[in-house]
Amino acid sequence: MRQLWTMTQYDLRQRIRDKSVIIFAIIVPLALMFVLDLVMGDLTNPELEPTTVAASVPVDDQLATALVDAVRALDGNGGLAITVQPAPAQAVHDLARAGTVQVGLLVPDGFGAALQQGRAAEVTIVSGEGTGIEQTIVASVVESAVERFSAAALAAAAGGASGLAPAELAAIGQEVATAAPTLSLSEGVASVEQLSSTGALVAGQAGLFLLFTVGFGVTALVTEREQGTLGRLRSMPMPAWTIVTAKALVSFILGIVATTILLAVGGWFFEVGFGSPLAVAVLIVAAVTAATSLMFVIARVARTVEQANIAQSIIALVLGIAGGAFFPITASGWIGSVLDLNPVSAFTRGLGITAGGGGLAGLGTPLLTLLAFAAVVLVVARLIPDRGAGQ
Amino acid sequence: MASVAAGHDGSTSDDVLVAAGLVRRFGDLTAVDGISFRIGRGETYGLLGPNGAGKTTIISMVAGLIAADAGTVTVAGQRMGPTAVEPKRHIGLVPQDLAIYPELTARENLTLFGKLQGLSGAALTGRVDEVIELIGLTGRAKSLSKEFSGGMKRRLNIGIGLLHQPTLLILDEPTVGVDPQSRNQILESVEQLAVEGMAVLYTTHYMEEAERLCDRIGIIDSGLLQAEGTRDELVRLTAGADLVRLVGTGDLAAATEVLRSLPAVQQVNGDRHALHVTVTDAPAAVAQIVTSATAAGMKLADVEITRPDLESVFLHLTGKALRD
Repeated sequence: MRQLWTMTQYDLRQRIRDKSVIIFAIIVPLALMFVLDLVMGDLTNPELEPTTVAASVPVDDQLATALVDAVRALDGNGGLAITVQPAPAQAVHDLARAGTVQVGLLVPDGFGAALQQGRAAEVTIVSGEGTGIEQTIVASVVESAVERFSAAALAAAAGGASGLAPAELAAIGQEVATAAPTLSLSEGVASVEQLSSTGALVAGQAGLFLLFTVGFGVTALVTEREQGTLGRLRSMPMPAWTIVTAKALVSFILGIVATTILLAVGGWFFEVGFGSPLAVAVLIVAAVTAATSLMFVIARVARTVEQANIAQSIIALVLGIAGGAFFPITASGWIGSVLDLNPVSAFTRGLGITAGGGGLAGLGTPLLTLLAFAAVVLVVARLIPDRGAGQ
Repeated sequence: MASVAAGHDGSTSDDVLVAAGLVRRFGDLTAVDGISFRIGRGETYGLLGPNGAGKTTIISMVAGLIAADAGTVTVAGQRMGPTAVEPKRHIGLVPQDLAIYPELTARENLTLFGKLQGLSGAALTGRVDEVIELIGLTGRAKSLSKEFSGGMKRRLNIGIGLLHQPTLLILDEPTVGVDPQSRNQILESVEQLAVEGMAVLYTTHYMEEAERLCDRIGIIDSGLLQAEGTRDELVRLTAGADLVRLVGTGDLAAATEVLRSLPAVQQVNGDRHALHVTVTDAPAAVAQIVTSATAAGMKLADVEITRPDLESVFLHLTGKALRD
């Protein structure tokens, strides 16, 4: 054990002096998180721009006024800033074209009367220069309001045909226009295994770069084989397994430290909480164990440092991409089941559970997946012929 | 094998190393083919042979890095092999490659391997200081070894091997690629260790080093031990013959045929640029040799006469020059 710790200690010292581990295990992934957040953040969390709507409304038309009020009511909802600016009908197009307003709303004369009589009425939405999602929202609200008014008018007309009194007809129309919808659509609550887009980015990148970080152990082993120090180590009075175990221990320690830093710094910077520190720590240990097991496979198949680096990059990128390190991947059926066995997926899923308030008890499936992955990979590594053994 | 020293088959209590019938194959190639030798306490034994002769493979089996396909290695009475631990306490390996960590200082390299050898505390610190002085790195002990010159790295490489004062020091071509000054320093260190009683196994393809350092020498070629003995015993294998070396161009094949017919000539070997002529009495025969070679169509550029040495022994035994 003393020799094992001695080798581990001196190996870590070299890795730190070499600085490549600090660069590739911590600085690069953090930088990548920031870049990816800049690139993909707008897609997942769009910023809504303040919007001015130029509205031309007929005088003394209550339904037209109600329509504009519905648009005005959007202001302050969900971060949307809406200003409604009255404008003459002939000026609406010019204002939108000039960019003075982002959206133009033209309600024709006789709008209210037409609806009440069950006739068609056409409201025009004019998009200004550079308008985006805000214009779509305004158009949706207008469309929705017009449909409600139409429904109210139709209900009143149907009541009239049935011989109802004018007071009752007005009440029906009012009720249809203002009643709460019987079908409602609400924003879904994310499942307990689902991280926010930023949280998934931090977790995915931490999982991806964990696969690179543990590779420093295997490249150290292959480098020692190339430079001759492995031969010297094997001439020392200690069991041969201590050499490989020391390299695995180095990988393990680097993986734990780097992943903890990535989650802590990434979580702090992006304001993502991953939940119980104990549960997260256990999850990190399991993920690092799974990742380190891959080192043994690479050590068996790679004869040179270049081969080790290539094999490690291929494995890391395939598992990282399939595990949703860059963008979410969803699949069902057997493909989905296979993807669930990916250690990066399991790690991210586990962090989703802890972020949602889950503790150790809730981590059963991800932990089992990660540890089973490690066990299977270690068996595979044992069965693969050692291509570098003769060197 | 031309054996000139008897009694090497059985080990004695003085034997630090006994290699018996070592065989190692790599696919179809038999790199080491039934080699046996022993090294006694305080003895320096040289394995002399050209590159690719099998020296490093022998070293690898002796140091327990690889297993022998047949035969055994015993170090200090204990069976050596890749899984053996105890016999490895008795050896200090100096590989041909620079087996040092570039990102560690000289002192850290020595301390690391000292700890792995089981040293600790004041004994380790004291020994590291001694070795740093011995290899002439006192002023650079705290420098990263990647900043060292080739010679300094070589000396550190050797220092690591002898740090724990092994019973058997194994040096695999320790002077390859070393400047003359460092080379001399290394040879002096090995001589000093031998004086102090350390057994040394030294492989080289430099005849001068083997002659200077080794009490006994095993001449190895193509995985076979061709002869073994002291320098004088080996030289006697040539029956006192001198070597005349003819360097030149032209029809070397015709010259070879003509020279072989001369009564004084025992043997002629050659390559594209030179003929090596083994003769009984070179000063008396050289005139006739030169005349005959020239007449046969060889254009001479240089003629050298050398007294019997390990080079001529190797040539005598294998028909090849040592550095071919």
